[in-house]
Amino acid sequence: MRRLFLFFSVSLLVCSSCQFAPMSGESKPVITLWYWNRSLSDDVIAKAQEAFPHVTIDAQKIGGDEYKTKLHTALIAGRGPDIVAMNDWAYEYIAYAEEFVNLLDYGADQLEQSYLDWKWQAVQDPETGALIALPIDTGPTALYYRADLFEEAGLPTEPDEVHAQLQTWEDYIEAGIQMKETTGVHMFESITKPYLQVIEQQSDKYFAEDGTYIGDGEAIQYAWNTAVRIHEEGLSARLTEGQEVNAALNGGDVASRVGAVWESQILQDAAPDTAGKWRVTRAPGGDGNNGGSFIGVLDSSAHKDEAVAITKWLVSPDAQLDHFLDVNLFPSAIETLESELLREPDPFYGDQVVADVFVESAKNVPPTFYGEHYGKFRTIFNDEMVLIDRANKNPEKAWEDAQKKAQRELSRIDQ
Amino acid sequence: MLRQHKPSLWAEIWKKRTLYLFISPFFLLFAVFGVFPIFYSLYLSFHSWSGLGDKTFVGLSQFQYLLGDAEFWQAVGNTFAIWFLSSIPMLFFALVIAFLLNLPSLKGRSTYQTMFFITNVTSIVAVAIIFETIFSNQYGLMNYLLSLIGITPLEWLNSGFLVKVVIASMVVWRFVGYNAIIYLAGLQNIPKTLYEAAIIDGANKTQIFFRITIPLLRPIILFTVIMTTIGSMQIFTEPQILLGNSGGVGGAGMTMTLYMYNEGFLNNQFGYASAVSWAMFIIIALFSLINWKLVQKA
Repeated sequence: MRRLFLFFSVSLLVCSSCQFAPMSGESKPVITLWYWNRSLSDDVIAKAQEAFPHVTIDAQKIGGDEYKTKLHTALIAGRGPDIVAMNDWAYEYIAYAEEFVNLLDYGADQLEQSYLDWKWQAVQDPETGALIALPIDTGPTALYYRADLFEEAGLPTEPDEVHAQLQTWEDYIEAGIQMKETTGVHMFESITKPYLQVIEQQSDKYFAEDGTYIGDGEAIQYAWNTAVRIHEEGLSARLTEGQEVNAALNGGDVASRVGAVWESQILQDAAPDTAGKWRVTRAPGGDGNNGGSFIGVLDSSAHKDEAVAITKWLVSPDAQLDHFLDVNLFPSAIETLESELLREPDPFYGDQVVADVFVESAKNVPPTFYGEHYGKFRTIFNDEMVLIDRANKNPEKAWEDAQKKAQRELSRIDQ
Repeated sequence: MLRQHKPSLWAEIWKKRTLYLFISPFFLLFAVFGVFPIFYSLYLSFHSWSGLGDKTFVGLSQFQYLLGDAEFWQAVGNTFAIWFLSSIPMLFFALVIAFLLNLPSLKGRSTYQTMFFITNVTSIVAVAIIFETIFSNQYGLMNYLLSLIGITPLEWLNSGFLVKVVIASMVVWRFVGYNAIIYLAGLQNIPKTLYEAAIIDGANKTQIFFRITIPLLRPIILFTVIMTTIGSMQIFTEPQILLGNSGGVGGAGMTMTLYMYNEGFLNNQFGYASAVSWAMFIIIALFSLINWKLVQKA
């Protein structure tokens, strides 16, 4: 009797994990989708479910900082979602293109003309041409500036005039000196921010397409020297990103920043007291991109055809317009960029149509290659920049240290 | 000769199989989530692996790299500095608070106990955000208070030393009540008769404290010192929320655990992160041992 009881309870345990198929009707394939809050519009996902009635879309919102770690773990385990949204770090996975569906095998080449070229190329393997993801939004950069402070400093205030005068970073720094002398206000919040933005405007970063290290090359050197010059002229407010910068922006202690389009929302939330005083114009030194996300299909997916079809639908020009209107994702589809619906005058910027500036910027971003290890090297150089800015480290020593650390990191990568 | 037949271990276990079945969940979970990762990390520490792609066996070169890794040693130094700055004032204050809570004349003791303990259960992320606003370089509450009494504001988060003070103060704030409650339990275990006898013998308050309270509290102090040591050696969330993954200006707030996390989960150097974690294990074990010896001797 006891034995029977034991057998019964064990088999109950075992079977509690069995899944019984629903008794009635044939089951629909379930397509799982991973995204984070505001990386896709929830409304658009709901519409996708209507557009694909023969499958069940299981959209899972995964929180914050763990997103990438969780994706990486899923890839290691070989059991991830079918569709996955990726932030701008998607390029790191080009080195592991075999983990993703090559979208060119599923007719994505016909879509290429519909999207910004540099955005498309950012997730394409330069060797094999494999495309691991499709573009969602982009982060074209521009110059945000305080028109009232510019006027006080005797600088032009209208976006066109500002752009005409501030063509290069050298012009921008000159204006910064004038700003400091006449009003005492810092033109820059830190030197790490301009350093990053100069890099984002250039096509060369820390690695060439064949994987050679070029972090000591012209592009990085130019960005470095520009940032160091800002430091030496005393134009940086030496602020830590986050609450400090927000407080300074709201308090009128910083007159401008070159930033991506998605920073507009952050600026409006951080500095509500300055509404109406800001303007946007094309950035000194050229157009660039900072951030923006992608969406791809994992090779482990059991329903690749359906998953690819849904992915294409989610980033189609129409869907991109909805993404923009709902959660402010700046489009990567050329047709969407032309939409009149983007061109609402914005009272925060004195009723300027800021989308015009960002659309122009987005069309002129130079194609670029990041490489698997971009994040690591960005951190190495950034850390040294912070030391120059806040702890007055000797810039030449900082450059040497950055190169030394980079070499050490390279020795480990090549293993 | 009569040889007594000793039943084998397995036979004994089989006889009590139902009991073992009931306690097995813990051991199974511990094997899967405890023992296996420990040995797997040892295995990984001899490899170079980004998580994806192949593991390549590199022998001891991860440890070799570690020995020459200035950032790791800086993290070790930082961790010890934070430990020193936090544990000594914390245990001192905890003892004082426990002593006050133990005064016979104190009314509403449990209210105070709850008050002191509540800091320990506050979300650490919230704590870090509050401390960030208090110690912010240019707009912080602390600098405002300093300016009121005419002291020039300090750049708390830019200075390598001050940043450690800020992190240590977070640790003190969070754990002082916790340790006080533990001390209080110890104090209440000391028999009243000892104090009474001492008073009859004419001992003064200081003598009673150092000759009776402290010696009888020694096992409790030893416990808190070891727990504090192990806890501080693994400090992670405070610097991460306060300063970001980089550990702040010049990595002044980079701790061992934060460094391991960065290498493993940001840089995808899983082999190296495993090596770092084993180095941490050795350091913590040695340091705890030293502490144990010292406190026992004192």
